[in-house]
Amino acid sequence: MENLGIDAKLLVAQIVNFVLFFIIIKKYVVKPFLVFLENEQEKDAEKTRTLDKLKLSEERLVEEESKMKTKMKKEMEEMLAQTKKEAQLLKADLVKQAESDAEEIRKKAKKQMEEEKENLYREIKDKIAKTSMFLVETALKESLDDVTKKRITNYILKKFEGKVNLYEN
Amino acid sequence: MKINPQIKSDLKKFLLEKIQKEKEFIHVLSPYKLDNEEKNQIKKKFNNLNWDKAVFQIDDSILAGIIIKKGSKIIDMSLYGKLSNLSHTLYEID
Repeated sequence: MENLGIDAKLLVAQIVNFVLFFIIIKKYVVKPFLVFLENEQEKDAEKTRTLDKLKLSEERLVEEESKMKTKMKKEMEEMLAQTKKEAQLLKADLVKQAESDAEEIRKKAKKQMEEEKENLYREIKDKIAKTSMFLVETALKESLDDVTKKRITNYILKKFEGKVNLYEN
Repeated sequence: MKINPQIKSDLKKFLLEKIQKEKEFIHVLSPYKLDNEEKNQIKKKFNNLNWDKAVFQIDDSILAGIIIKKGSKIIDMSLYGKLSNLSHTLYEID
């Protein structure tokens, strides 16, 4: 060994040094570094999990929002349809009521017109009868002399036949 | 206004007596003065009436013919009555 220039003692010392160096590095450098790396990996994994959770939550929210929107739209459509139906019913009722009122007014007006017509007809008839009576009476008063009156009276008496019927005035 | 019962009773009695007296009389209305022949003709025609208390009156408005009144009862044989009936008939015709 000496011929090869290798010092056995130095070699042993260097081996011991190396072992010691290895043990020290492993214990005080590599191990904490590995722990640090593991922690970092753990943190990364945690971040990823949280991110996934958030994404999932966001997806759920979007889905719920979409469902809510669909539901609201459906409810609104139902309400609109219901309101439209009620409005149509109300409109039909109002039209029916208006038609009924109009018919009643028409009937009333017709009745009133008929009554007025009847009254007018009676009035005219009354006036015609009274005027005719007045004209005939005046003409007879002016034209009848005592001789004619006597003749008419005798004619009436002559023509009068049958039993006498007295009536209350 | 309250009417005195005594006055009311007297008035009623007076009116009843008047109506009773009126009932006894026969009033004959004519447009001119009837002669005896006509009066007799009338009495003969209506011989079922009591002509003892008959009053003959002139009324121009009846035009011609006669009206006999006994109390509230009337026999209308006047031209005015005929015209009046005709007027009513005209009025009643539709």
